[in-house]
Amino acid sequence: MKALELKGITKQFPRVLANDHINLSIEKGEIFSIVGENGAGKSTLMKIVYGLYTPTSGEIYVFGKKVNMKSPHDAIKLKIGMVHQEFMLIPRFTVTENIVLGDEPRKGIVFDFKRAVKEIREISEKFGLKVDPLEKVANLPVGIQQRVEILKILRRGAEILIFDEPTAVLTPEETEDLFKTLRALKKDGKTILFISHKLKEVMEISDRIAVLRRGKLQGVVKKEETNERELARMMVGREVVLEIPRVKVEKGPVVLSVRDLAAKDHRGILKLKGVSFDVHAGEIVAIAGVEGNGQMELVNSLIGFTRPVKGKIVLNGEEMKLITPYNVRRKGMAYIPEDRKRRGLVLPFKIRENIIMGQHTLYPFSKGGILNDKVINEFATKQVEEFDIRPRDIYINAGNLSGGNQQKVILAREMAMKHNFLLASQPTRGLDIGAMEFVYKHLIEEKKKGIAILLISLELSEVLGLADRILVMYEGEIVGETVPEETNEEELGMMMLGIKRKERLVQ
Amino acid sequence: MMAMDIFRRIFFGRKEEYWWMKILVPITSIFVALIVGAIFIWSTGRSPVLAYKYLFGASGLVPGPYFKQHFAEMLLSSSMFIATGLAFAIAAKGGLFSIGAEGQFLVGAITAAYFGYAKPFASMPTLIHLTVIFVMVMLAGGIWGAIAGWLKAKMGIHEVITTIMLNWIALYLIEDWLVTGPMKANVETGVSGTPYVSETAKLPIILKGTRLNISILIIIVVAYLTWFLLYRTTFGFEIRAMGYTLIYNMDAPRAAGVSVDARITQTMFVSGAVAALGGAFIILGVLFQFPPVFEGGYGFDGIAVSLIGQNEPLGVFLAGILIGGLRTGATAVQLAHIPKTFPSIIEGLIVAFIALQELIRYLLMKLLVHKKNNTVSGGSDEKAVSGGVAK
Repeated sequence: MKALELKGITKQFPRVLANDHINLSIEKGEIFSIVGENGAGKSTLMKIVYGLYTPTSGEIYVFGKKVNMKSPHDAIKLKIGMVHQEFMLIPRFTVTENIVLGDEPRKGIVFDFKRAVKEIREISEKFGLKVDPLEKVANLPVGIQQRVEILKILRRGAEILIFDEPTAVLTPEETEDLFKTLRALKKDGKTILFISHKLKEVMEISDRIAVLRRGKLQGVVKKEETNERELARMMVGREVVLEIPRVKVEKGPVVLSVRDLAAKDHRGILKLKGVSFDVHAGEIVAIAGVEGNGQMELVNSLIGFTRPVKGKIVLNGEEMKLITPYNVRRKGMAYIPEDRKRRGLVLPFKIRENIIMGQHTLYPFSKGGILNDKVINEFATKQVEEFDIRPRDIYINAGNLSGGNQQKVILAREMAMKHNFLLASQPTRGLDIGAMEFVYKHLIEEKKKGIAILLISLELSEVLGLADRILVMYEGEIVGETVPEETNEEELGMMMLGIKRKERLVQ
Repeated sequence: MMAMDIFRRIFFGRKEEYWWMKILVPITSIFVALIVGAIFIWSTGRSPVLAYKYLFGASGLVPGPYFKQHFAEMLLSSSMFIATGLAFAIAAKGGLFSIGAEGQFLVGAITAAYFGYAKPFASMPTLIHLTVIFVMVMLAGGIWGAIAGWLKAKMGIHEVITTIMLNWIALYLIEDWLVTGPMKANVETGVSGTPYVSETAKLPIILKGTRLNISILIIIVVAYLTWFLLYRTTFGFEIRAMGYTLIYNMDAPRAAGVSVDARITQTMFVSGAVAALGGAFIILGVLFQFPPVFEGGYGFDGIAVSLIGQNEPLGVFLAGILIGGLRTGATAVQLAHIPKTFPSIIEGLIVAFIALQELIRYLLMKLLVHKKNNTVSGGSDEKAVSGGVAK
């Protein structure tokens, strides 16, 4: 039985054709993935299915019946539910209140909280999704918050569940939990639409996979009959170099030297417990580790967001006494932040403004404190071209760009800054493979230029592919130092979990 | 169309999509407020037509009897509203919700009064005397504002709290101590409040036969300079970057090397300095002394002015003119048997509708834009898609 059928769905936006005659049919009880690069039209398609957009043309059939959805309200009535990328929860409300909001059980005209709690306990048990109905959502980790979202739509009787990039915000363990849930739901006869650009996950969870590129359906494949490489090719439209080419560069003098550095997090807990390492010119040193093992505190100390408890940082032979972002940047540090939306870009600023931020006080962008628009526009236009930022419009707000293009704006800015040390903190987080490849290419180019790079990454494949030297961090300490030629993912994984230690090869 | 294009280019940094919304939304709010106001009047059995006729007839906004007088009075009070409005707008652009214009206005007023009558200054030529006064006024108001900024930057105390407290401190410091103590006029002269400022400290009149003085010219220059500061300087660039990110606790400007803490204090300094100008205007152009009981409120009205003006210097200027006009015409509505506080109701309604501007924007969008494009949902999503699909 077909749960959902799309026939010739087209969505035309004022300037863009987001979906171009898409035909899909999804069986009941299967996990159907839709992959594509950022901006390929996945989300638009799902918003059409969920009634947020009406298609310009085309027909939708739900369980064999032709439907005409005007709003998500109609979709819910048709038993279609959606777990959004950004959760729609009220942090101060309890789990129960969040789940029943909009459809509360009543006693007369009064909200019957007790019955609501009982109801939540029941469905939570029925689907094996453990939550504490009385806990406030604000106190829950992201993975559990997502569970609350899932319960919310299950309670409304959803049969078709849409997940819009659900793993983007999850840790690997939480992702594993989510997949368990998805499999259980499938067993229960629910139909699942899984949107992602992470091919590894898609290969793990789906039954069938549809690939979108530039609004067009490239094809639907069975999981057994395909592999990551083929999917990547379909997504990007050309062969993607997933393997990173090794480039040998003569190691130069020490650029950054960190000695016995310790720092606390914002709650005052000692998270970084005395690390020491050097980064040479033309070398990529990668810091591997599970998130939350002191990487954030290391980055914050280096960029001047937190004052270290002890230790010293020597950049270009000069000990940094007062570390502020302004000072380290003037001393030659470029920084690709881990959270581009909060730390990298001012979202309502235009590309032309974001692309000079940090350099805006320097000649020729400004003189005597007055901005030179002509020079800024020329520079922005040049960078947009060189870094292939789409669309080629320097007046577009950074917040309206796709993730990959936002990262390109940051790259375009940081690379243009005078620097000989690059702090790349999770530079490919949340990016699709096309954009990932772009970042790798630029990191390698930087290395060729003789720039010292400290790469902080959670992705082992990235660490092994890019690094000249790998430092493994566990609970705020460096527990191992190795080179990619002498190790593998397994050994790194063991070190990351603190099971194994490895002595330093070289000082 | 050409003129519109130039207008758009100058004031909206070019190529803004739906830039005209920024103008249309406040105009719609004002219009709706006037209609609702009319309903209020009509429901009390009086004539709205007559009320508006008297209100606008005496507002100085439209020609009518005694236009010259009304026009002069309107500009005179507008210049003060614009000053406090700009002060709020500058802080708002930097993500700071400053309620402190009232206190800064008072600080500016008392400073202007002191340097206006104090001996060593009183014998200077007008130009030098006024320059000295204005420098001191802006310095004093700036410092008053900067205190709140510094407290936020260093101690993390929210500016709403500190600016409100500083307002009260300023009020009592001035009214209950300075004006009745050290700055009290000589008792024999029979003057209460501070002594009158010397002739050289009075703002020159620019329209014969009225009270209109150069304050309106000064504030036009200041409004332009505010725009220039915000949109043409690196300082303004940083203020705006901070404004967009501060509220959401984002760090992008800081990570890029902007000294956010210093900028907060500096922004509040500039904001305070501009608010204080209004205080100087009222002392040097209207009252000529700091009276024992000061009728304030200009600082709070500035918030309304800035909100109506969308926190943009040009908008603040126009909104200040409007509010100045409503206040000038206020007494005339009594001829239609309506209390003179009625224009304040209109003002309140405008602000209320401005507060609903997202709704108004949404309705206008639906009415004007989406009909054309035949799409259903909000604008930002579409732009997001258009940003990415071109890949």
